[in-house]
Amino acid sequence: MALITEKELKHLAELARIKLSEHEEKKLLKDVEEILEYFNQLKEVDVSNIEPMTGGTIQKNVFRNDDDPIRKEINATDEDLIEAFPEKEKRFLKVPPVFE
Amino acid sequence: MEFLHDLTIKKFHEGLKKKKFSALEITKEFFDYINDKDKEIEAYLSLNKDFAFKQAEAADLAIAKEEDISELTGVPLAIKDNILIKGLPSTAASKMLENYTASYDATIITKLENEKAVFLGKTNMDEFAMGSSTENSAFKKTKNPYDLERVPGGSSGGSAAAVASSMAIAALGSDTGGSIRQPASFCGVVGLKPTYGAVSRFGLIAMASSLDQIGPIAKTVEDAAILFKSIAGKDKLDSTSVDAKYGDELLNPKLENIKKLKVGLPKEYFIEGLDDYAKKEIEKAIDKIKSLGIEIKEISLPHTKYALSVYYIIMTAEVSANLARFDGIRYSRLKNLEPRNLLDIYLKQKGEGFGPEPRRRAILGTYVLSSGYYDAYYSKAQKVRRLIRNDFDDAFKEVDIILTPVSPTPAFKIGEKTADPLKMYLSDIFTIPLNLAGLPGISIPVRKYEKNKELPVGFQLIGKPFQEADILGLGQFYDRIT
Repeated sequence: MALITEKELKHLAELARIKLSEHEEKKLLKDVEEILEYFNQLKEVDVSNIEPMTGGTIQKNVFRNDDDPIRKEINATDEDLIEAFPEKEKRFLKVPPVFE
Repeated sequence: MEFLHDLTIKKFHEGLKKKKFSALEITKEFFDYINDKDKEIEAYLSLNKDFAFKQAEAADLAIAKEEDISELTGVPLAIKDNILIKGLPSTAASKMLENYTASYDATIITKLENEKAVFLGKTNMDEFAMGSSTENSAFKKTKNPYDLERVPGGSSGGSAAAVASSMAIAALGSDTGGSIRQPASFCGVVGLKPTYGAVSRFGLIAMASSLDQIGPIAKTVEDAAILFKSIAGKDKLDSTSVDAKYGDELLNPKLENIKKLKVGLPKEYFIEGLDDYAKKEIEKAIDKIKSLGIEIKEISLPHTKYALSVYYIIMTAEVSANLARFDGIRYSRLKNLEPRNLLDIYLKQKGEGFGPEPRRRAILGTYVLSSGYYDAYYSKAQKVRRLIRNDFDDAFKEVDIILTPVSPTPAFKIGEKTADPLKMYLSDIFTIPLNLAGLPGISIPVRKYEKNKELPVGFQLIGKPFQEADILGLGQFYDRIT
């Protein structure tokens, strides 16, 4: 049985907001199927009583104060960041309409 | 060009101090050489001439004024294109960011600027650091300086090729599953992936945040140690960074201490699939290390064979989250895009902006995180990741350093593996476990290799967490007898 169907792939692409061409869909379906098959080897590993390793860090719950002026550590002015907007009106980031 | 070819950070610093040359003279020589050589190698995506000249002049001024300078003052470096330098393009070799200019500096860039280093330009890479050959770049194909028909490795292939062809004294790369060490091995240079948290990731375009680390690529282990020491340290802007204290032992290791280190050879890494030539080269490295009087013993890392699966589940999951931000609303928008509405802009931007590999990984990551499959894939992978880390913890009770190959083969031919993603992924099986476990690793060329005649092979030394001094120390003594 296939691990992933064409319908599932289409749905995933939609969730990831990636538009696929029909040709790419076919190739991707084959690639993903093969990779998922390879992942099947993990089924044989016994992980009972094993705590998941949820990240790479040894740090736990790193907090900072809300008034910590961390923004000052970054060498960009507000204008630098506004300048980088792909589309703007005055000092606002312009976003296309959500509803037509 | 012989002169540039021999230039290390160490030699450059001595020459600069003795006023044999100025930083500006050398920087100009580098650009002249790049102008010629890079037509063939295609290691750089963009050059930084005007700003680099200003940086070199500032370095020379500091020397003229007899200010305190560091070993990196005036040193011409190449920077991987996923590391932000304010005012310069940072494309991560993706069409997605073709029009993006960085608005701020990565923390490590600020650190290097404070030492008055010189940035020659930004280097080619696999798109968003996803790949093992630099063939996934949206812009150009970098060639291996040892054989122009072969890949330089990846994803930091541009940085490794630039150093190997003397188009920079040293470089910075990033390593998520082997992206510093594997190209270093393919190009006959040294590459260090530090312990997770040793170097700030602020200003690195993220691929997989629990695996990414920035590190140096250099001609010698000593140079790699110099660069590492200057970029390491806790950063307020990266809450996963750690205040590890690195002292003088990084740069001045003592042979009597190094001789006490025990080196382990994991039997799971010397397997079928390891190319004969690569295997023979690695054996030469083992013999040389023995000749230093170091004890070597066989060890076992039993969960090694699961590392590739675990990596491709965790990495793609993190990729799917990290790539979500490239939506055409922020950072950069494709020029031909005329959106009708918000959804339309997302679909078109991501559809045309991302190349095949980022698309494949984002979709695979979305799959392993989706509700019906989360337990079978992502959750399971996190648990096996713990087992892989436990393997290393157990091994490090018996030995101080683990020696392995870097990649199963030397550099392969351009186009050889592009059609089959799984085959390409296998190129990283010996480097991936370290990223999963968060450990430091270095790739060191087994010996000197002759260009257009031989293919370089590197061996990997794996250290305990934050014990970069062990692998850099042994590496420096290895360099001296090579």
